[in-house]
Amino acid sequence: MSQINVVFFASLREKLAMAEYQLEVELPLSVVDLKKTLASEIEAGHHLLDKGVHSSVDFEFTRDNDMIPTSAREVAFFPAVTGG
Amino acid sequence: MIQVQEQDFHVQELYQNLLEANVTGAVAMFVGLVRHFSDLPVEACHFELEHYPGMTEHNLKSIVNEAKERWPLLDVTVIHRVGRLSINDQIVFVGVSAAHRAEAFAACDFIMDYLKSRAAFWKKETQGEKGQWVSAVDKDELSLKRWS
Repeated sequence: MSQINVVFFASLREKLAMAEYQLEVELPLSVVDLKKTLASEIEAGHHLLDKGVHSSVDFEFTRDNDMIPTSAREVAFFPAVTGG
Repeated sequence: MIQVQEQDFHVQELYQNLLEANVTGAVAMFVGLVRHFSDLPVEACHFELEHYPGMTEHNLKSIVNEAKERWPLLDVTVIHRVGRLSINDQIVFVGVSAAHRAEAFAACDFIMDYLKSRAAFWKKETQGEKGQWVSAVDKDELSLKRWS
């Protein structure tokens, strides 16, 4: 089992009422499987399964089917970015 | 130079820093500002800009490196503000220096396009008591196709 830090941003952070969450998971694991795990562990976690929830692993953008490697330290979930 | 900061920036200063004596032939710059987005008075409206410390800087570095691989550039500066911003405030500065204008224009345009869709920033508009997160627009994503 690996310990990973999960962080949330913007509207998703507000919906979950949580900025950060630590959990132990068996890696490698797909991003979508991590979303499902979190959805069952966190109150209001079903928002993670909404359309338009984007992700990153150790600062690199990822997609639902990407695998989170055993070396991963931090996974983030957030809505589409709106900078500039 | 790549910087994410709360404080405002001075365009003239950033412009001077992009110049290299006897070498620079062109500087292209873009400044993004907060538009008035509501029917309410200016004083009742503001923006909150959130970012993901570490990832945002990483994203901006990747975008600038990609621009440097595509065009022969002399220097690039990207400044993006975060925190609370009022109407008419400056949000973002992108400046590119090169020997010739074509690459300076193109790289500045490219960096802004990617910054809009591939850098971890989120805007929240507040009108009076009501705050609302800004949604991403399809045209920003479509704009990236120009560069593929």
